[in-house]
Amino acid sequence: MENNVILSVRDLDVKFSLRGRSLHTIRGVSLDVQRGESLAIVGESGSGKSVLTKTFMGLLDGNGSITGGSILYNGQDLAQYTTEKQWLTIRGREIAMVMQDPMTSLNPLKTIGYQVGEAVTLHQGLTGEAAKKAVLELLADVGISEPERRYSQYPHEFSGGMRQRVVIAIAMACRPKILICDEPTTALDVTIQAQILELIRQMQKKYDLTTIYITHDLGVVANVADRIAVMYAGDIVEIGTCEEIFYDPRHPYTWALLSSLPQLGVKGEELYSIQGTPPNFFYEIQGDAFAPRNPKALKIDFVERPPYFEVSPTHKARTWLLDPRAPKVEPPEQIKLLREGGVNRHG
Amino acid sequence: MTKYIGKRLLRSLLTLFIIITIVFALLRFMPIEGYFQNFEKMSENQIKVGLQQLGVTDPLPVQVANFWQGLVKGDLGVSHKYRVNTPVIDIIAQKVPLSLTIGMTSLCIALLIGLPLGIFMARSTRSRWKIGDKLGTIFVVVIQAVPSAVYHLMIQFYGTDALGFSMFFKPDDPSTWILPILSLSLGNIAYYAMWLRRYMVDESNKDYVKLARAKGLPGAVISRRHVFRNAFVPLVQFIPTSIILTLMGSLYVESLYSIPGMGGLLVNAIQLQDNTLVQGLVLIYASISILGLLAGDILMAILDPRISLSKKEGGR
Amino acid sequence: MAFFRMKDNKTAALASSLEERVQRQYTPEELFDFAPYDPNAGERGGYSNYSYWRSTLRAFRKNRTAVFFLLLIVATLLFTFLEPFLPYEPEANTIYWMEKAEVDMWTLEPLLDEAGNPIVKTVRAVNEKPADRFWFGTNSIGQDLWSQIWSGTRTSLGIGFAVACIDALLGILIGVLWGYVRKLDFLFTELYNVFDNVPQTLLVIIISYILRPGVGTMIFAMCLTSWLQTARFVRNQVVIIRDRDYNLASRCLGSSSWRIITRNLLPYLVSIITMRMALAIPAAIGNEVFINYIGLGVPPETPTLGNLVEAGRKVMMEPALRYQLFFPVIILSIVTISFYIIGNAFADAADPKNHVN
Repeated sequence: MENNVILSVRDLDVKFSLRGRSLHTIRGVSLDVQRGESLAIVGESGSGKSVLTKTFMGLLDGNGSITGGSILYNGQDLAQYTTEKQWLTIRGREIAMVMQDPMTSLNPLKTIGYQVGEAVTLHQGLTGEAAKKAVLELLADVGISEPERRYSQYPHEFSGGMRQRVVIAIAMACRPKILICDEPTTALDVTIQAQILELIRQMQKKYDLTTIYITHDLGVVANVADRIAVMYAGDIVEIGTCEEIFYDPRHPYTWALLSSLPQLGVKGEELYSIQGTPPNFFYEIQGDAFAPRNPKALKIDFVERPPYFEVSPTHKARTWLLDPRAPKVEPPEQIKLLREGGVNRHG
Repeated sequence: MTKYIGKRLLRSLLTLFIIITIVFALLRFMPIEGYFQNFEKMSENQIKVGLQQLGVTDPLPVQVANFWQGLVKGDLGVSHKYRVNTPVIDIIAQKVPLSLTIGMTSLCIALLIGLPLGIFMARSTRSRWKIGDKLGTIFVVVIQAVPSAVYHLMIQFYGTDALGFSMFFKPDDPSTWILPILSLSLGNIAYYAMWLRRYMVDESNKDYVKLARAKGLPGAVISRRHVFRNAFVPLVQFIPTSIILTLMGSLYVESLYSIPGMGGLLVNAIQLQDNTLVQGLVLIYASISILGLLAGDILMAILDPRISLSKKEGGR
Repeated sequence: MAFFRMKDNKTAALASSLEERVQRQYTPEELFDFAPYDPNAGERGGYSNYSYWRSTLRAFRKNRTAVFFLLLIVATLLFTFLEPFLPYEPEANTIYWMEKAEVDMWTLEPLLDEAGNPIVKTVRAVNEKPADRFWFGTNSIGQDLWSQIWSGTRTSLGIGFAVACIDALLGILIGVLWGYVRKLDFLFTELYNVFDNVPQTLLVIIISYILRPGVGTMIFAMCLTSWLQTARFVRNQVVIIRDRDYNLASRCLGSSSWRIITRNLLPYLVSIITMRMALAIPAAIGNEVFINYIGLGVPPETPTLGNLVEAGRKVMMEPALRYQLFFPVIILSIVTISFYIIGNAFADAADPKNHVN
């Protein structure tokens, strides 16, 4: 089991400086990514899920930096990397990325062929005709019809879904071990979303990839993830297999998140929504970050940060409710419905 | 694309027609002294007859029609004071080549210095102390804020002193070309450097640059292949403005250094109150400006594949 | 809790609930009891005390260069407008006379009268070098350059302010109409496309040539088309705001057009006015210098920075008289550079994109 870990994050701290103050956006995250799995990181916007993955590639914005912890990959600690030269051995080659908005993630003034070809040349060492051939193969691979004609077209001649396919082709051209998909379908039509997810899954199988999805859409998660990490306020509050998170969630935040799934709404009843807003990182968070929004918070939640409690070897959650001293709190009705199998996974 | 260029061409011709007509109509209010060589000595009757002969007492539409008839044949009337009874078009034609040479040279120099300066400044924004950017910005601010008339003067004054050049232009003495051309290009150098820097900084924050970084391209390659190229394209839209800047700058610079070009000629004609000559020159300047804008639009259409047909995005 | 503004009851409630929580002490026995739930407490974190004007001000204040120039220009302006009220400051156009010993034209020996005393004559104090009596020296007709320059600065700033105000007024009025009244869009856009092609300097030349040179002519000539740029700018903002979703939303929620204008448009407009003002002043002064050079500017009876520079240029071949060019140029540069920097810094500060850090 241990040696199957491809990327290991330990006690990672990331701070940003903003308006002259320091924001603690990743607060001691630990995470093991297994080789070949697809892991989904779920959370509201601002929970730090994008920031976390950006640290794997050294792509933090200029005002942010890793202030503690380690990111072990191939025996190297990426958290210690400082120079561009070091990161160039990781970016693309080892870890590639698909970004949220395909409309802006391609250079509008270069042809599609050029942009895919750049990655092919860089990571497969091909040039000239061989490179073109590889690009055409890749384009066909990601489901772009008439690759010959598309090769010399510009991004504005592609639809959003097609552009995302091109972005995936670029990522595949790098031949990475890990693929990070940062909200890969958020900007797309619902009808296209499933196609893109399916494409990523095919690519994962074909190229033997480990994928990390970042999303706030539990529907996407249910479709693709083997394991789910729930993030709240810069911390992973619960992590487990897809089944465990959906059918046996333990953290009140996960309950709240699942309860607000539209699919779980009961006809005639108001859909559940989480009260309040995520905490502002300007303040140092004390205790459980979710406590102020949790109607059933314990007093200790305001005082001390809960440790991880193991539910099963693959499932752990950071909540005092799992402490033997805690009173028994029943999950909300909707969660029980879920557990009884009321909702199918592909809903 | 041909359709787009054709459309723009037609549009520019129309604009040119409207502008020339309006300017012509405006110039009908010119002081009447400007129509005669020796106004002070003329009797009232002589003036009246003279004005009638010139046709400036006709109703405005008739004058406009006459003017356009003449213009089509290349007739802009005759000079009244500068060189009496010489056709304006001949006077101007003589002056064009020199002005063109000086203007074009200064534009080229502006690009040759301004673009590298812009790149240098943009690069420097990523360094620790940003010294290059700060120095460049000081230069840009001074050139943009201080009226060009003032720094042209200072350059003539100090430059000729320090370098021992003649204060006045002599066509066959190359050293007398240097300062006028340099002062003429300063405005454009600052302009291009400022905008290229801004666009490069903007571009480098865009998503596609992040993706390029994520796919493992080295920063230097990204800024050369993607950022510079993309920041350069919108600069094309400033070419017309910089042509106008050069044109207007040449008025002052040419007359300061006594360069026998069009700009100096206009200042001369104004000081002499030679109405027809002023009119002819103003119309030519207006036309060049409009054609410059057209040239910018066409270049833009060639360089940017996204330009949609016939869409004009708010002038400069 | 300094960063809580006691703006309304809700804010106050948030602040107090925070205070309470911080001070809350629990005994070990009760730690695992349920805590009292306060729905407001959950709002605390997301509450951002963002205010457009405060952030603009903060962003501006962070630009130390701009603050320095702001102080400099405020001092200059104060002095410029207070100068006439200072004691012993005569009218700027006063011509000074002084007693001077006459000298022999050839030998430069002082001429003596019969009694052997030097002959002293009262003459105009022409081209006197900067010294105690005339701080900036005198010009070629014996006027004190010091008072001429401050008077000129007043006139030039007046021209600049007038141009900027008219420009802003016309620009905003027409820009708002242009943006909000869809029927007028075509007309104004065509007008803009035609007239924006004419270089402003050329127009200023034509107008000054046709009309009599003077302060009024200058202002008129410079305003004639400059408002087009402002109007275009305002129009674009109005169109963006008009079509933006949140306004659609707020209109659906029943807020009046007035509220939309004051809450969303006004901040933009105030920044536009301030910025255009700051940038119009250097432009106006620049035009003025140039127009004075070609002889169409304000006559010398009314000193302006433009005609002072021109007067200085005329004597610059004489090294001893170069101070007559320098002093106007220095003051002019201080004024234009300050306004330019302040204008740009303000424009940057007013852009919400720059409020992030």
